[in-house]
Amino acid sequence: MSLANLNYFEIFSQPVSFQVAENDLEKEYRKLQGQYHPDKFSTASDHERLQALQHTSLINDAYDTLKSPLKRAAYLLKLEGIDPEEHNQAHLNEDFLLKQLELREALESLVENEHMDELLALKSSITEEKQIALENFESVFGSDQFIEAKFLYNQLQFLFKLLDEIDRAEERLLDY
Amino acid sequence: MALLSISEPGQSKPKAHAVRKRAVGIDLGTTNSLVAVADEGQVHTLCDHEGHCLVPSVVHYAADGKVTVGDAAVIMGTSDSANTISSVKRLMGRGVEDIDYELPFKIARDADGGMPVIKTAAGNKNPVEVSAEILKVLAARGEAELGGELNGAVITVPAYFDEAQRQATKDAARLAGIKVLRLLGEPTAAAVAYGLDRKQEETVIIYDLGGGTFDVSLMRLEQGVFKVLATGGNAALGGDDLDRAVINWIVTEAGIKEKLSYAQVNKLSAIARQAKHDLTDSLETTVGYEGWSATLTRDHFNSLIGDLVGETIKACRRVMRDAKVDVSEISDVVMVGGSTRTPYVRDCVAEFFKTEVHTEIDPDQVVAVGAALQADVLAGNKYGDDMLLLDVIPLSLGIETMGGLVEKIIPRNTTIPVARAQQFTTYKDGQTAISLHVLQGERELVSDCRSLAKFELKGIPPMVAGAAVIEVTFQVDADGLMEVLAKELSSGVASSVVIKPSYGLEHSAIEKMITDSYSSAAADKEIRALQESRVEADRIIEALVTALAQDGKELLSDDEYQSLENAIRQLREITESEDSDAIRDASEALNKATLEFAGRRMDLQIKSALTGHTLEEYE
Repeated sequence: MSLANLNYFEIFSQPVSFQVAENDLEKEYRKLQGQYHPDKFSTASDHERLQALQHTSLINDAYDTLKSPLKRAAYLLKLEGIDPEEHNQAHLNEDFLLKQLELREALESLVENEHMDELLALKSSITEEKQIALENFESVFGSDQFIEAKFLYNQLQFLFKLLDEIDRAEERLLDY
Repeated sequence: MALLSISEPGQSKPKAHAVRKRAVGIDLGTTNSLVAVADEGQVHTLCDHEGHCLVPSVVHYAADGKVTVGDAAVIMGTSDSANTISSVKRLMGRGVEDIDYELPFKIARDADGGMPVIKTAAGNKNPVEVSAEILKVLAARGEAELGGELNGAVITVPAYFDEAQRQATKDAARLAGIKVLRLLGEPTAAAVAYGLDRKQEETVIIYDLGGGTFDVSLMRLEQGVFKVLATGGNAALGGDDLDRAVINWIVTEAGIKEKLSYAQVNKLSAIARQAKHDLTDSLETTVGYEGWSATLTRDHFNSLIGDLVGETIKACRRVMRDAKVDVSEISDVVMVGGSTRTPYVRDCVAEFFKTEVHTEIDPDQVVAVGAALQADVLAGNKYGDDMLLLDVIPLSLGIETMGGLVEKIIPRNTTIPVARAQQFTTYKDGQTAISLHVLQGERELVSDCRSLAKFELKGIPPMVAGAAVIEVTFQVDADGLMEVLAKELSSGVASSVVIKPSYGLEHSAIEKMITDSYSSAAADKEIRALQESRVEADRIIEALVTALAQDGKELLSDDEYQSLENAIRQLREITESEDSDAIRDASEALNKATLEFAGRRMDLQIKSALTGHTLEEYE
């Protein structure tokens, strides 16, 4: 069977929804790999091997996307015909932009002054905010409010990136 | 060796009458190489008639063209070092400028590329050819054991081997006439030998102290996915250094003042090696050299090698820090390489990781054992077995962007196989080619990464700047080898690109080397070329048919339309033939014939965009 015409959720036999059961995903991934991995075709024809290569690449990409909440959100938007990366001025919220700026400045000054405790406090508050945004995305997307969902996705994008930066800053400070 | 019989309870065995596939596992090492076969989960390594299993990775070339491999080549090397090639693995997939150390043989630059060639009495030999000689000897052992031509082999490579090094290894196998079932990471193979792949979740250390190299790999095994979290080591530290520590002790104790000759060093090395081996089982040994003799205790030996072993522990610490893994998370430590027989090495490693180390399987053979087990599965001998090793790419793949920066396309530790597409565009009006530079590495600057390939995408239909959209797909297969495909999206013209590796053999060069020595390989090549040319032709036809249906009638005169349709029909007919060259030529001709059409389609798009604009303004 060719997987090329299925969407990622269909490949993994999951309902198209922001909520995915990680265990099911994992189990399905192993099953699919067991079925399609090129190692299962090491003595097959070139054509079959090529097909196996393409199938597993697709499975790996799908797994990677479904496993990560951020990538999953972007993919769901794409399935609805919305380009998650499109930055339309009209959709940008001024408050959100201002907040981004403030948070980045706060992070910079914490790193500069090596305020480890406050850095950790910032991390936990952003983590909490991320959690709320994820829940909001789920409910908003679930009720087909796609414009709002895209806005939440852009917010999530920022929060994930900021958390990454906080982690890296933490490592730098710990090395001292 | 109970651990070697890894078979699952209730596993269905191959039917008695089923023909077993002849598959071997090969550990192609820097110092020694080894071949092993698995049968029903039982693995044995293959030895020569004298009972020697390890084949020294040494190749001697005589003026008359005679090639000698292994122990005999080592002996020849003592009198003819210039024609005796050792440690060729260090040169695989490397450029001349990478070789910044002394070699006992002469290196030159290959005529067309940065690849080193070794000057021997039998002519210039490249590293791939030298490795192929070693592989041939190992394959012959496998064939003698299994009673016929091999169906395939699993060949191991270091986890940190980049694309070029893996490609060179695979090329060597092809040159030796071996079908590669899979290139397997050495630490992965060692973990497989111990059955660690059967466990649910493990964080393991593979400590590999060989003759001349030290590697440590930190791996996470999760549900059959092997991820290399971090690797470290020292490419110039190994068992030879332990021997040297003992030689230095002898020289001091025996009061040897004069400069040692080559022969004396050889003799002392043998004595030192013997002492080291003796101290593995005994607490003391007698060392004698030219009338002088003394007792060397294990304790004293340990103090002699303390600094060297300390170096390896430091590397372990660095790897743990790199991956941010705590010692308490390590569940298994696997010992690989002959030098891990030394009790002090085992003790130090066990102490650092606070766990018992695995030494049940001969550390010289453990990698080949794992490779043999995997070869048996891949060849299809173990029916009903769900063992599946998923690997990751060890280094990120990226492309050069403006300002000498690297943009990552596939990050390191991505599970392979993987395919990622990236879009590019032209920056000048009428630009018909785009050059791409593919790199491997983690750093941001091009100069800090390893150059894998530079190539040009040609034949882009001339358009205004930014109008052409070229989608480039990077495909990495299960062996970690890359292929690049490119497609011009606006005109639908597709073309696959053959990468010219920056270091290593060009595809055509390896094909030639193979056809030169094996005429049967030519048939395979023909079939492949035919298939490829047909696929290519189909792609072009499909793209053109779509374009013609969309706006062919509008943009083309009846004659032009008719001639393109005729050309499609002709190409379809030629595709039915068995002549790949003819199909290729016809495809190219059709591709060229569509350039004008593609240009007009582009103009139309621009015009309609402009027209829309004007209308809006005037209304």
